[in-house]
Amino acid sequence: MSSPIELEEVYDQHAQALFAYLLNLTRDGQDTRDALQELFIKLARQPDLLTQARDPRAFLIRLAHNAAIDLMRRRDARTRSHARFGAELISQFTPSADPDEQAFRLELANALGELPAQQRAVVHLKLWEGLTFEQIAEILEIPVNTGASRYRYGLDKLRSLLRPLYEEIK
Amino acid sequence: MNKPDSFEEKLKRQKLRPVPAAWREEILTAAREAAKTETQPPAGNDSFIQYWKHRLSNLLWPHPVAWGGLAATWLVIFALNIASSDPAEPRMARDTSPPSPELRQLLREQEQMFAELISPLEKSAAVEPKRRGSQPRGAARPEWLNA
Repeated sequence: MSSPIELEEVYDQHAQALFAYLLNLTRDGQDTRDALQELFIKLARQPDLLTQARDPRAFLIRLAHNAAIDLMRRRDARTRSHARFGAELISQFTPSADPDEQAFRLELANALGELPAQQRAVVHLKLWEGLTFEQIAEILEIPVNTGASRYRYGLDKLRSLLRPLYEEIK
Repeated sequence: MNKPDSFEEKLKRQKLRPVPAAWREEILTAAREAAKTETQPPAGNDSFIQYWKHRLSNLLWPHPVAWGGLAATWLVIFALNIASSDPAEPRMARDTSPPSPELRQLLREQEQMFAELISPLEKSAAVEPKRRGSQPRGAARPEWLNA
């Protein structure tokens, strides 16, 4: 992991997942980029970090999570909220050619924004990383039951927010 | 855990946005640069000095004027301390011989004279406590209170 080539390998293998997670968590393109860069700088400076990890993906997601939380706190202290400045939030889903699908993705992105960050993190890791609650609990350093209940609350809220559209396009 | 329902399945199927291609080079370059500046090994004498200069400048960077001022103050204190100290003083103190019998006699006489001068004052102060006025305390009340 000490040579640049290996750092590139890590990027190629994990950057997509980290990007999606960070984008969902921060809901800001610039914050996502900054957190991702911060993470890779950390890995470049301490190459042993990753070699000692039992599960590299889980370890990287935890690093990304911590970097994003730090960044969001710093940003909050400076700007309080994006909405105040009318910043446009970037969707974490690819645009779809199908208008129904596109409408659903937009609504889903907005609905995810309605969730608290803690629930959003669990929902993302469960749905789009396919992790078990045990893995999620380990990454986020929370009890398994807490992770499961956050997922359930988050999913219920998404369901209630998206129900009209979902029923319509089903 | 229940089996995922159709809503969950639909969410899972949503395709996530790919990471922008331009980021790869930018992020990896930044990471490599940061690693280079952080862990440059001191190969020769010059690079060793450069390394420590870099570490020191990092350490002192936030308030260089304050650090400079503090260092200057200490230098001034040190210089003043050296300038005001008399190197002969400790030797003199060490070399002082015990007083001669004549000097001792003279000191004793001076001490005695001093005691005689002081003793009448001390005696009078002890014998005569501070006297209050001879009239009763009530009589000393101001006029306006009696009015």
